[in-house]
Amino acid sequence: MKNIYILLGSLLLITACSTDLDQVPPNQVDADNVSDYEPVLIAAYSYHYDAIHTMPVLGDFRSDDCLFDETPYTDFADFSGNSITSSMNADFFRPFYSSLYQSILSANDVILNSTNATQVGEAQFVRALAYFKLVQVFGDVTVNLLGAPTVEEIAAADLTRQPKNDVYNNIIIPDLQAAKSVLGASNAANAGGRATSNAAQGLLGKVYATMGNYGAAATELSAVINGAGAAGITLVPDFSMIFGSDNNWNSEILFATAQSASAIIPGATRTEIIGNWYAGRNTKADDGAPISADLIAAFAASTGDLRTALTLNGETASVKYDAGSYTDMNWIELRLTDVIMLYAEALNETTNAGGGESASILALLDPIRTRAGLASLSGTATTQAEVRQAILDERRLEFACEGQRWFDLVRFEAASPGILNAEMGETINSNYYVFPMPVTEVTSFDEIIQNEGY
Amino acid sequence: MIFKNKLALILALFVSMAIFAQDGSQLTGTIVDADNIPIAGANVIIANTTTGTATDFDGNYEITVNEGDQIQFSYIGFVTQTIPYTGQGTLDVTMAEDAALLDEVVVVGYGTRKKSHLTGAVAKVKGDAIAGIQAARVDDALAGKLPGVLIQNQSGAPGADPKIQIRAASSITGNSDPLIVVDGYPISGSLATVNPNDIESLEVLKDAASAAIYGSRGANGVILITSKKGRSGKTKFSYNAYTSFSNKYVDNIKMTASEFADYADASIANGNWDVSELEAAAPGYTQFKINAYRNAPDVVAREDYFFGTGSTQSHDFSMSGGSEDSNFFASMGYQDTEGVVINQGFERLNARLSADTKLGKKFKAGISFNGFASDRSDFEGSLRDANRQYDISPIYHTPASIAFVQELEAQHQALGYTVNRSGAVSGFRAYDTRAVAGDLPGLFPQSIYDLQPGDPAWDWHYGRDGNGIGGSGNPGTASIVDNKSNTEKTYFANISSYLSYAIAEGLTLKTVLGGDYRATQFKQHALITGDGGGELKDTYLDQQDVQTKSMLSVTTLDYNTVLNDKHDISAVIGVEFQKNHLLGTSIEGNNVEQRLGEPLNYAFIANANTIVTERNETIHRESIFGRIAYAYDNRYLISASVRRDGDSRFGANNKHEIFPAFSLGWNIHNESFWNSESFISTFKPRVSYGSLGTTSNLGAYNALSFANPATTPLGNAFLIPSDTSNPDLTWQTNTETNYGIDLGFANNRFTLGVDYYTSDIENILIDLSVSEVLGRSSIRVNSGDVKSSGMEFEMNAGIVRNDNFNWSLGANLSTVNTEITDLGPLTQLPDQIYGTSGRGAVYRNYVGGEIGELWGLQTTGWVDEVHMINPTDVIGASSGEVYVVDQNGDGVIDATKTVEDGGDLVKLGTNTPDFYWGLNSNMSYKNLDLSFQLQGSHGAVLYNVDPLYYGSNWGGRLRESFDADGDGIEDATGKHYTRARDQTDATVQDAGYVALRNLTLGYTFNPDLMSKIGLNSIRIYGAATNLLYIVGDDYTSYNPEGINTSNSGYGGPITSGHQEGAYPVLRTFTLGLNVNF
Repeated sequence: MKNIYILLGSLLLITACSTDLDQVPPNQVDADNVSDYEPVLIAAYSYHYDAIHTMPVLGDFRSDDCLFDETPYTDFADFSGNSITSSMNADFFRPFYSSLYQSILSANDVILNSTNATQVGEAQFVRALAYFKLVQVFGDVTVNLLGAPTVEEIAAADLTRQPKNDVYNNIIIPDLQAAKSVLGASNAANAGGRATSNAAQGLLGKVYATMGNYGAAATELSAVINGAGAAGITLVPDFSMIFGSDNNWNSEILFATAQSASAIIPGATRTEIIGNWYAGRNTKADDGAPISADLIAAFAASTGDLRTALTLNGETASVKYDAGSYTDMNWIELRLTDVIMLYAEALNETTNAGGGESASILALLDPIRTRAGLASLSGTATTQAEVRQAILDERRLEFACEGQRWFDLVRFEAASPGILNAEMGETINSNYYVFPMPVTEVTSFDEIIQNEGY
Repeated sequence: MIFKNKLALILALFVSMAIFAQDGSQLTGTIVDADNIPIAGANVIIANTTTGTATDFDGNYEITVNEGDQIQFSYIGFVTQTIPYTGQGTLDVTMAEDAALLDEVVVVGYGTRKKSHLTGAVAKVKGDAIAGIQAARVDDALAGKLPGVLIQNQSGAPGADPKIQIRAASSITGNSDPLIVVDGYPISGSLATVNPNDIESLEVLKDAASAAIYGSRGANGVILITSKKGRSGKTKFSYNAYTSFSNKYVDNIKMTASEFADYADASIANGNWDVSELEAAAPGYTQFKINAYRNAPDVVAREDYFFGTGSTQSHDFSMSGGSEDSNFFASMGYQDTEGVVINQGFERLNARLSADTKLGKKFKAGISFNGFASDRSDFEGSLRDANRQYDISPIYHTPASIAFVQELEAQHQALGYTVNRSGAVSGFRAYDTRAVAGDLPGLFPQSIYDLQPGDPAWDWHYGRDGNGIGGSGNPGTASIVDNKSNTEKTYFANISSYLSYAIAEGLTLKTVLGGDYRATQFKQHALITGDGGGELKDTYLDQQDVQTKSMLSVTTLDYNTVLNDKHDISAVIGVEFQKNHLLGTSIEGNNVEQRLGEPLNYAFIANANTIVTERNETIHRESIFGRIAYAYDNRYLISASVRRDGDSRFGANNKHEIFPAFSLGWNIHNESFWNSESFISTFKPRVSYGSLGTTSNLGAYNALSFANPATTPLGNAFLIPSDTSNPDLTWQTNTETNYGIDLGFANNRFTLGVDYYTSDIENILIDLSVSEVLGRSSIRVNSGDVKSSGMEFEMNAGIVRNDNFNWSLGANLSTVNTEITDLGPLTQLPDQIYGTSGRGAVYRNYVGGEIGELWGLQTTGWVDEVHMINPTDVIGASSGEVYVVDQNGDGVIDATKTVEDGGDLVKLGTNTPDFYWGLNSNMSYKNLDLSFQLQGSHGAVLYNVDPLYYGSNWGGRLRESFDADGDGIEDATGKHYTRARDQTDATVQDAGYVALRNLTLGYTFNPDLMSKIGLNSIRIYGAATNLLYIVGDDYTSYNPEGINTSNSGYGGPITSGHQEGAYPVLRTFTLGLNVNF
């Protein structure tokens, strides 16, 4: 009988052990006890992936270069109301916003916790790029500097949108200056697609130009151009060698966000293919002809331009991107041509008020013109305004379908009021130079106020 | 059971000693019960003597009697009969169950109680009521049977779990699945694991006081199932089989091409359409379109293709029996269903084995096994999207349809222009331009001139955007159906054992040890079906393998006694440990380049095109619990229980919680002052109070924060953790008070039960939205409070009771009211549009409101078709626009804010019914039986997205003059209008219904006749499910119970109420057979 009690007693105690209530999964790492922040840094880079598809749509389909055909996407061409505020939120503004802040959070985690100076420098570059994209698209934005917030920190977070100049001066510029000094010089290929000092300095130049600080921009951009050769950064000889997945990490690239046809990043909310927007292979631009007549005419006017056939398929679609399906093709964030043209733009704004430097400034574009099979622009313009127009026109052809046009127009408008309306051929209220904040954020959080006009 | 046998045995031994003393005649006979089953161990005694005997295992007896003896036949639970001996040679007796004497025993958590001693809200259904209906699933048979239990077929797919909601929702984001306990073992899984034929009885613990003994697992209610056991006596064998056929209940709801041509002609003739403006700009265009619709050959209505006739075959064998010390039950069932929706099917093989035995005088032990293997297939993808195809073509091209599309392009070319849906006229555009070479050129014909008979017919073959009669950009119907699959294979086994030891009279120690194991593989694939070009990005081969293992150990000490015939004490204490492991692997394959002759196999997918996610999770739970119930003189009833649970899922600071419960009852009808002859035979008020916890939809590690591994083009990454560590994460507690009264009339021939309850859920576990600035969209916290209340009525009546004709009727009605009373730091959760590509209601959850309210713009009707510029654009298209009310009169329609906040949103309803009811009738006349079960639900609404796609996917169809300045106001009338697909009530419809869930007519063959051929009984029956199904006037799709829960953003009850391509309500006819040997 005693045995029975022992048996029952042991059954009673089976699996009874107080530590059983502390369970942890064997195949995961405690986020608060990461030993090497390299994978967190990689995450910071990769979150840009989910934001890049928005850039072409905002940069080109909002501008006079590309058109959507099917409602509600046609709302992008409407500058009178708030229709895109809700209709485009889920597809564009929200994923753009959330993925960039995810990148920022991961970068913060590295900056705050990593002991590796290079990791921190790269994270600062990635964070600056994210904030730069945010201020270009939304204007004032909330600043988050937390890396691994606790529930209490999340509850206490200040969500107020900070003036965009504060974001530039307090975060973007210091981050890029730090990255510039910490990171090594290299072209993107040798850096394995990671940030370099050249990329940081080039982006800093673009940031200054966008802020209207063309003097500082010229200094940084000039340094990039001068140091490019030593870092292995050169213009590729043929325009066709810039695009397509076969040309990823070509020598002209300062920084690009890597895409992959295969490793589709888990958690990415949007897997639309950029190429499809431009090729008209998405039903939203379903005539197969998303390219505006205006852009087609601009190419037609540039007689003998080798870029025409390498940009447009006949008259309707872009061929800068791989056809079909997912692609390994990178999204180019900054290439040397851009740095050169920004430098010319900066010199024109700072040194050419009297028009005397026109010829030398336009001569800076010669390698780009030559590659396009065109003659030098030097001598074709004599005033600052004419040079500005020439540079803007050249940018339009060089960077067609690269998500730049709208942001170029807004930047040039700051230097030369009226130029945006003239280019767009309509009067656009300056409220619409920026885009609507994600409505989901605005309706949920009182501190986050919608942009004027939306 | 055991008691019964023991008593019979003792009596038998006792009386057999006296037998030899007698002389006289030998009388023999057989004693059977009402089902003609022999009763073993029944007593046969000569009244007023000590002479007697007991029946053997076959129910036979033999006794020596003298003329004039009164022979008494008795058996526990049956009415004792006394029959005088008048020289009969044999005397067979059929014993009737004694309902009055046998106080019904109700199973409660970790024990049983007499029904008359119950103080909580417990509903009981007997097994025969479930098996009698022969539903494929237990839950189907329960629909409408129980007050406070709402069972709805949200999915409608064969083998899919219905939604079971017991009383009010216990969580605003979690599911409502109750805990299922089979023979004292809480199983991991749904009621699908139980074969309806194996059920002896089923109890539902509804109120907190009853369920509190299950602590944190009882918040959604508990369903206790007692499976059939063998009885000592002759081995019984039964066979049940049925076959059924199903069709969708409603007729086709879409117009075919030729019907639309007639409709177009009529609309033009009667002035409902005005095509004069278009005709001026594009002469002959309208007639070109109408002719094309009319002449399209070999058209197959998509609904006829997607919805066919389904069928089910079911076979079920069971065997049971036992000796004095041991008994067994074994069953095996097989079910094979072909669904009504194309590609749907369900096949299941299940088995149950149980054996119980007495080991000596003190020990009892038992072991049981239950398992099944099932195989489910479903339509992959969106049925709404597939069914949106216009009925203009065959499924596969025929020579006639190929000739037609080529001729159509020729006609269009002759016409010389194209008209889009807004009436804009442009030049000729060939259909062929639609086809862009895709990733696998040659997979599909790229030109209508390459078509061969047998090729899938695609919409664009018939034109697109006004150059023909095609419309949607979707792949062809056959491309979708033939190139996709969705299967789920499950293997499940549960084994449990118990050992009990009677320490002393009434004191029993029992331990249960068991485990279950489930392996499920989900697999979905889609090959290139995509738009125009056919893109690899749309392909996938996904597989999820999930294995769960659960180990459970419960040990209880149970004490039952009745002191001085007055003090009935029943107490139990116990400890319980449970450990659940989940091992899962998910593989997502992309860019699936399957070429002709290659099987679908991961070996053909490059490693880089697969994403593998693994899960390895453990949940541990440990509990101690106890309950004491006391009844004094069958009058005053009291019960108290307490449970302390520890759960590994909660934060370090809050892993344990205590859940107490307390209840009282008073059998007033047993009081001495109550006239026992009173018409009111039962009068029992009761009240209960208890608290329950719930873990809601908490995952194993939600309180912790783990780096989220992933591969990226730059290497391995730790993405942002999906959880924010929260050491304070704690139980959501549900405190509930229940007031009830049980009334019985005319010796309980009529009964009425009324319950009123209030429930207060505190510390609600919610995913609190946080700004995405913080790198995540929400954090899991305890925040908020929801209060609910409800009334439940249950009535049963034995209307007619006599030898030949019996008729009983049961009815129930339940109401539920819920209010969010607190949301922590927020006054409302973020408004969310949940639906299909932005088409859906605004779901609002705010303090003072209900859970998951649907809000939208109020409409006053559709813009008439006469305003459409190009009404022949696509089949069945309406204007797509509705007139909306500018609630605040500010001249602007704002669908982002409520009227209170300066916008125009108004509340449109919720998906929770105001009340629901059931009505059950059982009639038998001689050998015929007839039963039916009605169920109704009223007051719920849903946002039905189907009509927007089937009829009016696009706005922008109105003629320019309707609103020349494009300000959203009709110029002629000044009325505001907007797209129906925006957040409006245009397709918010009544989700109420009244269903004749079941109608069964059976015939039982004469038992005497049957015994001659060696059978105990045979019953044949015919049954109909949903013979009648009435929906609300404005409901336009196939199933008002169907709710979409799978689109991105679904948040549980807070976003419940969207319908998208719901599988149809089925009308089923069944023929069945029950045989007992």
